[in-house]
Amino acid sequence: MTPELNEFTAITDTVTQERIDTYAELSTDFNPLHVDPEAAAASEFGGIIAHGPIALHAFFRAITGWLGVDALPAGSTVSVAYRAPTRPDDEVTCELREMTEIEPGKFELSAECLTQDGTVVVSVRATVTVPEAA
Amino acid sequence: MTKTGELSNIPYDDLVVDQRFGPYDEVVTAHLASRLAGPIGAPTVASFAPPAVYPVLFLRALRRAMGGIPAGSILAKQELEFVRELPVDSPVAVTTWVGAKEIKRDRPFVTIEFEIRDAEDQVILTGRKVIVWPTGPGEQA
Repeated sequence: MTPELNEFTAITDTVTQERIDTYAELSTDFNPLHVDPEAAAASEFGGIIAHGPIALHAFFRAITGWLGVDALPAGSTVSVAYRAPTRPDDEVTCELREMTEIEPGKFELSAECLTQDGTVVVSVRATVTVPEAA
Repeated sequence: MTKTGELSNIPYDDLVVDQRFGPYDEVVTAHLASRLAGPIGAPTVASFAPPAVYPVLFLRALRRAMGGIPAGSILAKQELEFVRELPVDSPVAVTTWVGAKEIKRDRPFVTIEFEIRDAEDQVILTGRKVIVWPTGPGEQA
């Protein structure tokens, strides 16, 4: 069964310092821009910013939720442009922009992750193959 | 706790295209997968490695290869090609290398490539990060 386009549900993730700290622990990336408020405040960003992939997380949750899978199927590709940083207390929502079925069961799509004020923080282009059992 | 003493300060000039680092052994544990399958850090059951695992493995490999991403760098792009699905609790080997260095619009861009293989030496995922490096040609970190 092929997932329906209208089943692609927008996902919103809240960026919190706790999640940034968890991501730092998991990735071993303790860049002070992410974990040191004083150093981050003195930087060009003026405060803590999240690791880039945290802004992408809502897309990963949305696409795996749409497909009903844990892992993206073999043959899938994801291309991400990071547009702007995210910060603690940002609400990042992934919204689908376009989707085309380029061959049976294979979709090309574009999506954006936006903060609560409409700033696009991440643009995504992806190709996914729907698993046969989906 | 802040851990700030491990940042890389490799200048642009010292990056050698095609020099390989690794393979670095990692395990995609159920703990790691579960904290990246749903909201970050919120345990969510996953039988296979969710896609968010791979940028984390990239960062771990960068840490081991060159001390991490240098302070002042900006992540511009990331690409991922999913070749095989990986069950949780699988060991993997991550290899990384500088794929390209180029100046575009007066800014130094560095492409760092990654390849992740499973215990049977099968490719699981390939990918790359494009980073605006904090130093350019002739500059010191």
